[in-house]
Amino acid sequence: MADRVTHATRKPPGRHPLPREFITRHQRARIIAALAEETVEQGYRSVTVADIVGRAGIARNTFYENFSSKEDCFLAASEFAVKEALRRVVDAASRVDAWPQRVNAGLAAFLGYVAGEPALARTCIVEALSAGPAAVERYERSIQAFVPLFRMGRKVAPNGDSLPATLEETIVGGVFWIIYQRIVMGQVEEIEQLLPELVEFSLTPYVGAEAARRAAAEGPPDKPSDGAE
Amino acid sequence: MLETEARPRTGDAERAQIVEALIEIAAERGYGETSIELVLERAGLDRPAFDRHFRGKYDCFLSAWQELNEECLATMVRAYESREEWTDRLRAVAREVIAGLSRDPSRAHFGIEVLAAGDAARARRDMTMRVIASLIDAGRREMEDPEAVPHTTAEALAGSAYGQIYSRVVRGRVEELPDLVPQLMSAAVLPYLGIEAAMAELGRESAAPDGYARPVARKKKAKTAKPPVDPAEYPPELARLPPGRHGLPREFVTHNQRERLIAGLAEAIAENGYSATTIAHITRAAAVSRRTFYEHFESKDQCFVAAYDTVMEELQGRVTAAFEESDDWAQAIRAGIAAMLEFLAAEPNLARLCMVEALVAGPAVVERYDAAIQSFVPYFREGREGRPKKVLDRLSPTTEEALVGGMVSLISRRIIAGRTEELQDLLPDLVEFTLTPYLGSAEAAKIAKQK
Repeated sequence: MADRVTHATRKPPGRHPLPREFITRHQRARIIAALAEETVEQGYRSVTVADIVGRAGIARNTFYENFSSKEDCFLAASEFAVKEALRRVVDAASRVDAWPQRVNAGLAAFLGYVAGEPALARTCIVEALSAGPAAVERYERSIQAFVPLFRMGRKVAPNGDSLPATLEETIVGGVFWIIYQRIVMGQVEEIEQLLPELVEFSLTPYVGAEAARRAAAEGPPDKPSDGAE
Repeated sequence: MLETEARPRTGDAERAQIVEALIEIAAERGYGETSIELVLERAGLDRPAFDRHFRGKYDCFLSAWQELNEECLATMVRAYESREEWTDRLRAVAREVIAGLSRDPSRAHFGIEVLAAGDAARARRDMTMRVIASLIDAGRREMEDPEAVPHTTAEALAGSAYGQIYSRVVRGRVEELPDLVPQLMSAAVLPYLGIEAAMAELGRESAAPDGYARPVARKKKAKTAKPPVDPAEYPPELARLPPGRHGLPREFVTHNQRERLIAGLAEAIAENGYSATTIAHITRAAAVSRRTFYEHFESKDQCFVAAYDTVMEELQGRVTAAFEESDDWAQAIRAGIAAMLEFLAAEPNLARLCMVEALVAGPAVVERYDAAIQSFVPYFREGREGRPKKVLDRLSPTTEEALVGGMVSLISRRIIAGRTEELQDLLPDLVEFTLTPYLGSAEAAKIAKQK
């Protein structure tokens, strides 16, 4: 309670040399981060706009310039997180050619993102369910966004065309579920260790158990050097 | 929808009527928009009727949800046991569960809306999910090398099956659910039996549940619209509730201030629920001053965590002591369960605090709750020692977790329904339920029936 985030990072009012658009984007990101932190601390339903504003160190007006309500802010948070996660996954996967390695790299990037942003992850993956129908629907859609990435696996699979139609949904849903469980159990730090098992789980239907296990054991291709971004 | 005329006890019928109305309204309007008034209007009952059965909207949601989860578990167990082969068993489960949801879309919608009630609702669902995962995980014993598949696979398959059903329901496409069965089955058998078995599943008919009657049918369940589960209608594994119970002396509350505050908290919570409880409620119930409260605790939350730890320590102490008294593992399990039920029945406020309210008291406590459940796993795991390979092959790595989960689920249900004092009646069922995987059902039933 006592240790609210300090306001040290707050811009002095009035005088900022940065372009307006940058400020706005930055502000939005800060508000979203504040929402996530507050949500983790007290659960989504108890969080108020006042809490968010206090944590972000901004004026109430500023909040309402960016979002119409707490719900609006929540939806923006999950949209932001999904876009960012997708971007990282696609980016990591596109650095390699072979399909199994792509899955390896993409999943590694995803787990890395979740582990690196525990508050945002908890907000979007766990708390989304108590944030009302719009959030639930958004959650559904965000899971769906990852489906096409796996569908490419059918091209390398000997039985590609005859695999179950919902296979990709199974894989993505399964990965999300495992991550959800680990977050609920408070084991976020261990999430990255799940990589080999999840790679094996995701690849088996396409390339068979043997090849999947080999790819999982190999691990992701050279980790993109730090600060790739 | 509900056939009330044949129900013997009017109280039960009334309660069922409210639950049924709640499910419908919540499915139509969502958690937030559901009010007690609307529910009562639909049920054609008045407020006193509601108050006879529930402490509020939240309580009503949680109780209904608990019942649906148990109904689902019971259905799954019945379906699973109606077949011999693992794939047939799993298919029977999938078909039955999906048939149930298709028959009654409002239950399916309710299952989604109720999640807005928070951690407790999620935790109940996750218990059910653990059981489903362990049914899938049994697939490893069909393999030459049972360790060849990672343990997370079954968990992931269960979770994604749930996700796929969930997304159809959210989009209002309940009628598509039966088509999912072959897909789900195909995905589930693939890691264990390989691609050919998975393809074969795709070619099978989707729905057509073909009546999974057990050889010795107990009580016929209505094919449609079931009333909330009556313990008498549990599957054989969980049925048989012998009459008679024994009250026990209260001995937990002492004169110690801190413990008095903890007892005060438990009492206040039993009366008001966690979120509505104030420090004033606690100090009044404990008969101490506000200052004394703050000498011991900084906040209600902190007091709750202390209370939870104290209660669990006491409970675990008793279970361990009882367990260690017997050299025979099965008898030790029986004694441990008996000690747990005895303690909870004797201390209804504490029972409610640690089994029900803990789930709504914030992440710190939910984590402890999970850890507490895990702490009971090793007792069961000991049961593997010295068992023949045939038995061990049948157990999955998550068997113990599922057993504890199922047990806790049954106990919480009684507490939520305000029937804490009847908890000891559950002993034979719980003993049989937990011992069967290790000893087989005949031997387990024998031990369960001992006096």
